[in-house]
Amino acid sequence: MTGFRTPNFRDRHAIILHKPGDTIDRLVRQLERLGMKTDVHWPDFPADGSYADVIFFDADNAFDELFPWAPGAAPMPLVALLGSELPGRLEWAMRQGVSSHVVKPVQSSGVFSALVIAFANFEAARETQRLIDALTARLDGRPAVIRAVVALMAACGIDDTAAYARIRSAAMARRVTVEDFCATLDPGAIDRLFADQVNPRKQTR
Amino acid sequence: MPQDVSIGLLYSVTGTYGAIGKDAQDGALLAVEEINGDPASAVRFTVFSEDPGGNIEQYHRSAGTMLRENGCRHVIGTITSIGRKEIIPAIEKHDALLWYVLPWEGFEACENVIYTGAAPNQHILPLFAHMLARYGNRVYLTGSNYVWGWEVNRIARELVAATGGEILGERYLPLDDTDVDRMIAEIERKRPDFILNNLIGTSSYAFLKAYHRLAERDPDFRAEHRPVTSCDLTECELAEIGAEAAAGHLCSAVYFEKLDSPLNRRFRQKVTARFGAGRPLSTFLVAGYEAIHMLAQAIAAAGTDEIGPVKEALFARTFETAMGPITIDEKTNHASLTPYLGRINAELGFDIIDSAGSAVVADPYLVDFNPRGFAETVAAQARQKSGGYLKVIK
Repeated sequence: MTGFRTPNFRDRHAIILHKPGDTIDRLVRQLERLGMKTDVHWPDFPADGSYADVIFFDADNAFDELFPWAPGAAPMPLVALLGSELPGRLEWAMRQGVSSHVVKPVQSSGVFSALVIAFANFEAARETQRLIDALTARLDGRPAVIRAVVALMAACGIDDTAAYARIRSAAMARRVTVEDFCATLDPGAIDRLFADQVNPRKQTR
Repeated sequence: MPQDVSIGLLYSVTGTYGAIGKDAQDGALLAVEEINGDPASAVRFTVFSEDPGGNIEQYHRSAGTMLRENGCRHVIGTITSIGRKEIIPAIEKHDALLWYVLPWEGFEACENVIYTGAAPNQHILPLFAHMLARYGNRVYLTGSNYVWGWEVNRIARELVAATGGEILGERYLPLDDTDVDRMIAEIERKRPDFILNNLIGTSSYAFLKAYHRLAERDPDFRAEHRPVTSCDLTECELAEIGAEAAAGHLCSAVYFEKLDSPLNRRFRQKVTARFGAGRPLSTFLVAGYEAIHMLAQAIAAAGTDEIGPVKEALFARTFETAMGPITIDEKTNHASLTPYLGRINAELGFDIIDSAGSAVVADPYLVDFNPRGFAETVAAQARQKSGGYLKVIK
C-alpha cells in the first residue's frame, strides 16, 4: 500500500458547459457533495472563466471555438460529458485533450472517480510537458556545448571527457545548466575562464 | 384506513455473514410487527423478503423481483458494499429507495439510497482520535481481503501518517480463512501500540482467540496494554469469541446495548419480549428496527410511499430512536449519528468509555477531513487525558 492521500476537492471550482436540465442538476448536486463550487454555462464560455479548476463540457454538442484556447491547450483538466459515442464526437473531445469523462445520463456514481482521474491525468500530462520542454531546451543548447568542449580540448590539450567534466563543474559552480553556461561563452571566454588550466605550450603557439 | 405499502427485505440470513443479516432482518421485522399491530398506525407494511445467501449474483435477481413483481418502492437490505452496489442500478432504474443500515467505508452518495450506518468520519476517525492520543501511534493493520478492510485500513494509514506515526504491518486474509499465525507472529515481533482489526466473521474470531493466547504467554499483549480495535464488531458476535479472548478490546460504533436512555430501555424490553432474554442487542438489530420506523413515519407524513415526498419528509424531521436522535442530511442522504467507543466486558457486552457527545454529520467523501486538524485534536487529547501517552506511565 502506498501513501495515497484521500482526494479532496473542497472549495475547487467547476465550470459546467452544458444546457441546464435533470442530468446537470444531478452533476451539480454530486459536485456540491464533494465540497465544490459550480457554475453552469451554455453555449458561451464565461469571459472570466479562468478561475475554474476543472471544466465539464457537453461532448455531444460542443463546437470549435467553444473554449477560448487552442485545442489541446486547456489550462485546467477537461471532463467530457458523453452521451453519444459517435467516433466523430469522441475525436473532437480527444482533440481538446480531455483528462477523463462521465457518461450521460449522470448518476451519483462515477463523478468522484472522473474527478480523481482527471486531476491526476492532467497533472501527469503537465509534468510530462515540463520534462519535454526541459529536454528540448537542452537539445537546442547542444551545438554550443559541443563548440565549448572542442575549444577547451584544443586550449588545454585534454580529451572530450575531461573537457566536458571541467565545463560541467564550472556550470555547477555558477548554478546554471551546462547548456546555459555554454551559450554564454564567446570565443575568448575559454582562455579567460579556464586560464589556470590552459596548456601553456598550446597558448604560446 | 392505514395505507398499504409493500417493502422488500433483502438480507442474506444464511452464508458467511448470515448472523449480521439475521440481526438486521429481525430488527426490521420486529418494527413491522409493531407498526402493523398498532391500530393507530397510518401505514400497514406487506413484507417481501428474499435471502440471497451471500451469493452476489442472487442480489440482482432478488431486487428485480421485489421492484418489478412485488411493487416495492423501498428495499431495506444488503450487508456488504458489493451487494449494495450490485442492486443500485436496479434501484435507480425503478426510482426506488434502498435503505442501507450498516457501517461502511464511504465514498458513495447515491440519491436512491438512505444510509443510516456509520461512515468513516463516524467510526474510524473518532476511534483513531481516541487511540492515537492514549496508546501511541505505532499501529498494526489487519483485514479481510475485500474493500471494507482495504479502505478502512487506507484511511487508518492516513490518520497515522498525519500524527507522524508508523504502520508496523498490514496483512489480509481471504474471507473465512482462519490461518492467523503469521499475523500473530509479526505482531509479537513488532509490538504495536494497538491493532486495527478489519477481519470479519470467523477470521476475526480466530484472530482474537490467537491474540489472547499470545497475551497469556506474554502479558505485555493484554488488552489493557496493546488492545485490538475495530469498527464493526458487535454484541451479536461476542459469544463466538468468548469472554476470555474478547474482554478488554475496543470497538467504535454508533450504538451499544448498554446505551442508557429511555428509548433504548424500551427497545430492550421489546426485543426481550419478542426474542427472549438471551438475545443480545446489536447495532444491526437496532438499525434494521429504526430504519423501518423512520420509513413508516416518513410515509405517514408524506401520505404516500413515492420516494420524492418520502425523502422530503425524512429530511424535515429529527427521529428519536434507541440509538439517539437521528437526522438524515439532505445533501448526502446520510444519517447524523453519535459515535461511541465501547470496551468489551466479561459479560460479553460493551462498556461505553467515550462518546462524541452529540450527533456527527456524515462526511462520506471525507470532504471536511483535514490531516493537520486531526493531528492537533489528537495532540490536545493526549495532553488533556494523561499528560502524554499512557505508554509512558505503563
